[in-house]
Amino acid sequence: MKQILALAGKDLRLLLRDKAGAFFVFFFPLLFAIFFGLIFSGAGDEQSSIPIALVDEDSSAGSAKFIEKLNKAAELEVLPTTRSQAISLVRSGKRAAYVVLTKGFGPASDRMFWGDAAKIELGLDPSRKAEAGMLEGVLTRYFMEGFQANFTDRGKMRGHLQESIAAMNTAPDSERAYWSPLANSLKMMDDFFAQPTVSGDSGQSGEESSGWQPLKVEVSDVSVKRVGPKNPFDVTFPQSVIWGLIGCAAAFGISLVVERSKGTLVRLRMAPLSRRQVLTGKAVACFVSNLGVSLLMIALAIAAFNVRPYSLPWLALAIVCCSLCFTGIMMLLSVMGRTEASASGIGWAVLLVMSMIGGGMIPIFFMPPWMRLVGSFSPVKWAIITLEGAVWRGFSPVTMLAHCALLLGIGTVFFAIGATIFTRRGD
Amino acid sequence: MLQLTNLRKSFGSLRAVDDVSLEIRPGEIFGLLGPNGAGKTTTVSLAVGLLKPDSGTARVGGGDPLNPEIRSKVGVATQALALYEDLTGEENLRFFSKIQGLSGTTLNQRVGWALEFSQLSDRRKDRVKTYSGGMQRRLNMAVALVHEPPLLLLDEPTVGVDPQSRKAIFESILALRREGRAILYTTHYMEEAQRLCDRVGIMDRGKLLALDSVDNLIRDHGGRDVLITECSDGEKRTETDDPVAELEKLRQKGPLHRFRVERPDLETVFLNLTGKTLRD
Repeated sequence: MKQILALAGKDLRLLLRDKAGAFFVFFFPLLFAIFFGLIFSGAGDEQSSIPIALVDEDSSAGSAKFIEKLNKAAELEVLPTTRSQAISLVRSGKRAAYVVLTKGFGPASDRMFWGDAAKIELGLDPSRKAEAGMLEGVLTRYFMEGFQANFTDRGKMRGHLQESIAAMNTAPDSERAYWSPLANSLKMMDDFFAQPTVSGDSGQSGEESSGWQPLKVEVSDVSVKRVGPKNPFDVTFPQSVIWGLIGCAAAFGISLVVERSKGTLVRLRMAPLSRRQVLTGKAVACFVSNLGVSLLMIALAIAAFNVRPYSLPWLALAIVCCSLCFTGIMMLLSVMGRTEASASGIGWAVLLVMSMIGGGMIPIFFMPPWMRLVGSFSPVKWAIITLEGAVWRGFSPVTMLAHCALLLGIGTVFFAIGATIFTRRGD
Repeated sequence: MLQLTNLRKSFGSLRAVDDVSLEIRPGEIFGLLGPNGAGKTTTVSLAVGLLKPDSGTARVGGGDPLNPEIRSKVGVATQALALYEDLTGEENLRFFSKIQGLSGTTLNQRVGWALEFSQLSDRRKDRVKTYSGGMQRRLNMAVALVHEPPLLLLDEPTVGVDPQSRKAIFESILALRREGRAILYTTHYMEEAQRLCDRVGIMDRGKLLALDSVDNLIRDHGGRDVLITECSDGEKRTETDDPVAELEKLRQKGPLHRFRVERPDLETVFLNLTGKTLRD
């Protein structure tokens, strides 16, 4: 046993001193988890605002109020300018669009039921169509917010109604008959809003006196049982654990080939060690480093990235099983090449394909059904699902044990094949 | 200490070792000479239990080297530097001591001894990859010796080392002989074998062609001395058992400008036995 521990200790020490190996075992998985976690969460990627040039040709209180809303809008980056300058900025690609509030915009935006509509001119850069579509929606939204205020404020409402009635009454005789039914209706509405409300409101102006709203959304906090990951890092950290395991499997698989090519394996074989002890030493080192990198990743995920595993005991079991599985994979990789270069090339090619189809690069739930099926042949898929089962999928004990058994089976078969080839070669 | 009896080993149709028998006694340096492919490495592998013979027996201290415990009686310094370059010299020695079963005070003492032996005490904390070729070669040998094996197999231990390190290695080997260790020494260098070895075995194509002391081999297989004289007629080579008498005869026939005597050595023995030079 002491000899096996000596073999394992030596391999772990060598791994820590191999900078390239340490990068793939520790730093690459961590970078992977953080990078993709941030992408999926949108953090670090401030909602990119649309740069627009804004021209106010109305210069009214209404247009100023609308501009104030646009200036505060997170979706927009507003540059006030003149019409010619605005067109030039869009043409030169410096602004995605220009927006012109035309003459009469302010009064028209306050007017209800009659008269010309408020008019906005929108000049678009055709190469930025996606932003243009979003811009139309944003402008409409902020305009409607202002328009909605007309309905929710009794004082304003009555003012607009009286203005409209007066305008209709002073219209030419030929139009007055046409507007007459509407004018009568508006008069009735004005009378209605002049009454005190049922709650005793005197009909004064102000938000408190609002009698009606077109839409009122009430938000309630309802805790529901989530079926998906609570946090993008719930997905990326299990993947990063797998990348760490892949790095370990590659490093130790290649190290056995290096021992063979450098002659240290012969020296070990000439020592009072059996082949089994030599292989066990390598396997113990791989398993310990697998465990180490997995625990490190999970500890970081919990401490710094708000990952809250569904079950810590199941997670511990999943990590042990994944580590054993990848120890078996390491053994198989170690006999795939005769030289360091061939072992490294073949090993990484196999591992990358396994990772690619198994969800190590793209989360499994993003994959089309046929790729999920193909991925079933990759141990990476089962390892990730097992880890996810303990992190956010909420596996039942039976499901978890079944997945763990599968991982152990894969690891055992791969280890047995690798060890058999190793022994038959007479290494 | 090492006894090989009628060893045979084939790889497919190639007979790598063909009926080899030899014995190395404690306190003896045994040289195994042969060109590449002669079967030296296979013989060594059979001797330490790396390979199983097709027939015949190998015994180390009376035991079968296929048994891992028996292998602890053997120290091997391979021609390739079998060291971990990213470990320090001391870490290498500690690791190989542990796998030989040493621990505690014994381990510390033996590692200290091995560092002294390899003259690497002041570089013990440096990684092996920073060592010179000679230092690595000395460490390679120290690793073979760290567990005090009674049988030492040295495979080309002076390849690629500077004269100073070579001298240090020779002195170490002679000191080990004085301690009573049995040493199997394979080399390409005739002068090393001639200088160090008590007995020499010459191998070619898997067979042990001759085995005796260096003097006896030269006497039996080296042929006669060659007297080379130079006179007005040119250079003349004369094989003779008595160069002095032959020189006197030639001098009486006429004046000699120069002369020299070429005595047979192991190279000549090897050439006579195998029909080729050792480096072929």
